[in-house]
Amino acid sequence: MFDITTLAQFLVTGLAMGSVYALVALSFALLYKAVGILNFAVGESVMVPAFIVVILLSVLRLPFLPAYLIIIGVMVFFGAVFHRTVYHPLRGRPFISVLVSTIGASLFLRNTSLLVFGADPRVSPALFQVQSVNFFGVFVPPQYLLIITTLIILVVFQYWLFEKTLLGKKMQATAQDRDMARLLGIPVDTIILITFIYAAILGGIAGILLAPIFYVTSDMGFMFALKAFASSIAGGLGSIPGAIVGGLFIGVVELFCAAYISATYRDVFAFIILIAVLLLRPQGFFGEKVSEKV
Amino acid sequence: MSFKKGLPVKIPFYLAVAIVLAALPMLIRSNYWVGTLNLAIIYSIAVLGLNIILGLTGQLNIAQAAFWGIGAYTAALLNTRLGWPFWATFLVAPPTAAAFGVILGFPTLKLSGRYLAMATIGFGIIINLILNNWKEFTGGVDGIPGITSPVLGPFRFSTNGSFYYLALACLILAALTQVKIKNSRMGRAFQAIKDNELAAELSGVDTFKYRVVAFALCSAYGGMAGQLFAHRTKYVSAETFFIDMSILFICMLMIGGAGSVAGSIVGACLLTFIPEWLRFLQGPWAMAIFGLAIVVIMIFMPTGLAGLAKSVGSKMAVRLRPESQKEPAELPREASH
Repeated sequence: MFDITTLAQFLVTGLAMGSVYALVALSFALLYKAVGILNFAVGESVMVPAFIVVILLSVLRLPFLPAYLIIIGVMVFFGAVFHRTVYHPLRGRPFISVLVSTIGASLFLRNTSLLVFGADPRVSPALFQVQSVNFFGVFVPPQYLLIITTLIILVVFQYWLFEKTLLGKKMQATAQDRDMARLLGIPVDTIILITFIYAAILGGIAGILLAPIFYVTSDMGFMFALKAFASSIAGGLGSIPGAIVGGLFIGVVELFCAAYISATYRDVFAFIILIAVLLLRPQGFFGEKVSEKV
Repeated sequence: MSFKKGLPVKIPFYLAVAIVLAALPMLIRSNYWVGTLNLAIIYSIAVLGLNIILGLTGQLNIAQAAFWGIGAYTAALLNTRLGWPFWATFLVAPPTAAAFGVILGFPTLKLSGRYLAMATIGFGIIINLILNNWKEFTGGVDGIPGITSPVLGPFRFSTNGSFYYLALACLILAALTQVKIKNSRMGRAFQAIKDNELAAELSGVDTFKYRVVAFALCSAYGGMAGQLFAHRTKYVSAETFFIDMSILFICMLMIGGAGSVAGSIVGACLLTFIPEWLRFLQGPWAMAIFGLAIVVIMIFMPTGLAGLAKSVGSKMAVRLRPESQKEPAELPREASH
């Protein structure tokens, strides 16, 4: 049970799952950081593109690249509409109002998807022909490698975006102090809209990556939302590196706990971590100081 | 206070409400709708609990379904394993849920706002997974069947029609208690915490203590609702008490109007009956429209129905509050035509 190969096998699987959690947590953390909302529809921004990718690939039989580009386009639209309907009219209201509004959006999206795509779980065709690649005795499905690589690329991209570009600086300024940003002439509403679109695209990428290895159902989003919550709490609510590390951490710990402690309670561990982190170190691994953000 | 002063003037009005409430099962006749009404009453009690923590104290609890479940399982286990009757479980289930509330509250209430919300989500999920998987104790996915109906002397509250009176009595008790709490020193402390926690602390309110008390009260209401639920359906299983119910309770409260006793009850009843009325639309359609309606309501009615009533005129709002028991009665009549 404890030999190196098995451990490495688990580690890679955990990291792959954790990378998906990290993407969803990143989407969640971006919106939290930018406008202080807890987005309960974050899972649906993974589920919707996952479904569309299945339709594009297995029903319309599009090649992979155009399909993926279409998804990104759809998610730009999704993010913009989500911002305009669910958040924008409620900006400045207590966070609970926005939270309930995102719950409404989540219910709407979940059930509309059920109507449109049906109740059968679906899997999209695999991107790679080979089942797994052999790395010194560790069998790694190429999709897992793709997921982990994508996460790394996105992290680099995001670092570049936030630290090196004017747009990124404007996004950061808006997140830190909206009024000050407005005084400095930053078009705050547009920047928030862009943040929503970016968060939606991250969800879309998570959906694309998941679709070949995970059963796509209309209620899969909820569990991903919950894992994203746990990940961003573990990493520190509102911390961008925290969301990524938290996601990877939850993915790996969950897999090891499921393998060595109890598979039945697999989903419990993420939430035990959540509560333990809140009790012992509420600011998470990287988080902001815990005080009510107004 | 205005409630007490206004009482003598309104005696005929209360009498009329009492008669309508008493005659309601006969008016509705349909066994199915009386059953739904009972469910609405049970939800109302759970939402009233949530109103204490969210409406009065301003803290978010996304685990009310877990406390509801703890109440239901306490009643179910005591009833089926030890043969305790309804009245005994009635006394034990709310305190048990409250004890869990304190267990959750003590360590987490130092956290503020959104962190607390996340902690309660975790708690709710963990409780649900335990109910679902601890087969020896909770029956696992099979749940616990064979819970007995309440018996009082020769009366047996086994039908929907008879159980209605028992549930209604519990709701009235819960609502009146809450009106009392709201207007007490404790209620003002809750309000102070909601408005400005720091200012409350500085004026000598023991904010931590009152937050724990609010949490305990909230979960006690949840436990009471759960106990009623267990004896009504005579069967409990973990899937009922999943986090989506916690979320539904929050929606009920926000739509009815957080902070208002009448609003809590109206919100709970509306959100119980609306999906039933939409049933002709078949499953997902109803829920999709329901989700959309929640967004629209949050945008256009930020303070819920109670806030809407208040803006119509503050006098109307004062009158609405004591009428809290009347509201559920009106809905099914609309339903029955």
